[in-house]
Amino acid sequence: MRQWQTLVKKELLGNFRDRKWIWVPIVLILLAVMDPVSNYYLPQILDAVGGLPDGAIYEMPQVTGIDAITMSISQLSSLGILIFVLISMGTIAGERKSGIAELILVKPVSYTAYIMSKWTALLALVLVSYIVSMLFAWYYIGMLYEFIPIGDFLLLLFFYGLWFILVVTLSIFYNTVFRSPGLVAFSTIATIIVLSVVTSMFGQKLNYSPSNLSNHALHYLQTGDISGALIGSAVTTISICALLLVWSIYIFQTKEHAS
Amino acid sequence: MMSILSVTGLRKEYKNMTAVRGVDFSLPEGKCIALIGPNGAGKTTILRILAGLLKQTDGAVTFSGKETNADIRKFIGYLPQYPVFPSWMTAREFLLFSGEIAGLTKEEAARRAEDLAEQVGITNALDKRISDFSGGMKQRLGIAQAIIHSPQLLLLDEPVSSLDPIGRRDVLTLLERLKKEMTILFSTHILNDAEEVCDELLLLHDGEINEAGSMEALREKYQTSVIEVEFQENRQRYLEKLKQLPGITACTLERQIIKIPVADIAQARKEIFQAAAEENWPIIGFNLNRASLEDLFMKAVKK
Ligand SMILES: Nc1ncnc2c1ncn2[C@@H]1O[C@H](COP(=O)(O)OP(=O)(O)OP(=O)(O)O)[C@@H](O)[C@H]1O
Ligand SMILES: [Mg+2]
Repeated sequence: MRQWQTLVKKELLGNFRDRKWIWVPIVLILLAVMDPVSNYYLPQILDAVGGLPDGAIYEMPQVTGIDAITMSISQLSSLGILIFVLISMGTIAGERKSGIAELILVKPVSYTAYIMSKWTALLALVLVSYIVSMLFAWYYIGMLYEFIPIGDFLLLLFFYGLWFILVVTLSIFYNTVFRSPGLVAFSTIATIIVLSVVTSMFGQKLNYSPSNLSNHALHYLQTGDISGALIGSAVTTISICALLLVWSIYIFQTKEHAS
Repeated sequence: MMSILSVTGLRKEYKNMTAVRGVDFSLPEGKCIALIGPNGAGKTTILRILAGLLKQTDGAVTFSGKETNADIRKFIGYLPQYPVFPSWMTAREFLLFSGEIAGLTKEEAARRAEDLAEQVGITNALDKRISDFSGGMKQRLGIAQAIIHSPQLLLLDEPVSSLDPIGRRDVLTLLERLKKEMTILFSTHILNDAEEVCDELLLLHDGEINEAGSMEALREKYQTSVIEVEFQENRQRYLEKLKQLPGITACTLERQIIKIPVADIAQARKEIFQAAAEENWPIIGFNLNRASLEDLFMKAVKK
């Protein structure tokens, strides 16, 4: 436990020193608020660039708070995930490739503590950035469109957050498998894409798939009832994360740690 | 003699080659042992296996009576050949970190960090970022982190090869001091370094240990000396005469000096002096050269 703390502290300090704690939240905030805000100002923007051609009738569709937060989520689900993969792809693989891991793992460090510290530190950065960016989105959406009830919003925040935990865990898993950060990033993204495609192809059968988390959560916002599918997806996601972590530690134990 | 670590039948195969071909040795407690070998001999591979960073293909490493698969990392300090540090840390932060993950409390680690910085001579740079360190400073920091938890066995992979003469001197002096507290195994391809601080040698070549033993025993074993005689004139003639003497098998004339490699110095000297006295040879120089360890190294490697 003390080892884990020491290792987490080192990770947090490292992420702080190379400014990740600054730029990741900022980029996430931009991603989350960009679409709702630009959508709101669309008429003015169109006017400013000369307006619509004569005769064209443009009717602003009525955008609800839920529509707006859906825009934020779709940005986070694509570019947001890309950023999370980028910041996590070298967390173990890079350390092993460079040789830093050699100095750490030659000390009597438990492999479990090592992996879990990487996971924890990464998760802290990802979740804080995610929560802050969503809070910004919630606030702007409230100002520009309508406020989403705070209870509903927190539920969305929680269930959709699980999806990011899975992304981080996947990346940690591939970090223990491969020694090349590029390969880690590729495999993580490929896995997410395959999961999404398969889920949308077999939507009915794979209702509990992790990539349905955002759909189910948004559905809850619209209807107000927590469906079994939402809980199902959440349980699946948490189980997969736990399994991946155990598997990562196992793989790591069987690996050689010299560069 | 108690041995702190013994290795039997150690083999290491990489994908397409065998780097270590079944070596046996043991490290006597409290000694300084040099693992000497040319580039590619397998020194780094062996040290990494002992440090638990690589898994041997075959063979056993036993740490003074402990189970073969026990976690022996607590008792080992290790400095890689090319250490890479988290360069965004300061030296102090890194030493604290190393100490704490090795099981020291915060206070102990802090005290050790100060103490070791002093010992290795980086006190002034303790709060500088490691990214600003020179190669020599990094090497010193590397030694400090390796001994922060007071290990029983210290493994150093070429600790002085990359240092300038002053740095080399400092590190060798440091090793001399550390020898009193722990067993040291260090690899090098420079014999002089080994000769200076080591009690024992392991001569590694092509993944095999060709020769092992104490410094004196090895010197004795490979001892051949060269008698150098210088004549005022007629060198060629005396060369022939020398060749006739009993106990002398070969001699050569190199740059005006006749060189006679001999096994039994006393016998050869007697013969030469006798002949010289009888025939009044015009000798102007007589020198006895003991074989250097370097020659020993070449000999053992070529075996
Ligand atoms: N990861 C690896 N994969 C394949 N071959 C390797 C690997 N590491 C080392 N080797 C090979 O094993 C042999 C021994 O290498 P090792 O690094 O142990 O030698 P060394 O004695 O430390 O050499 P040097 O003095 O150059 O450091 C070399 O021929 C090297 O090419
Ligand atoms: Mg080497």
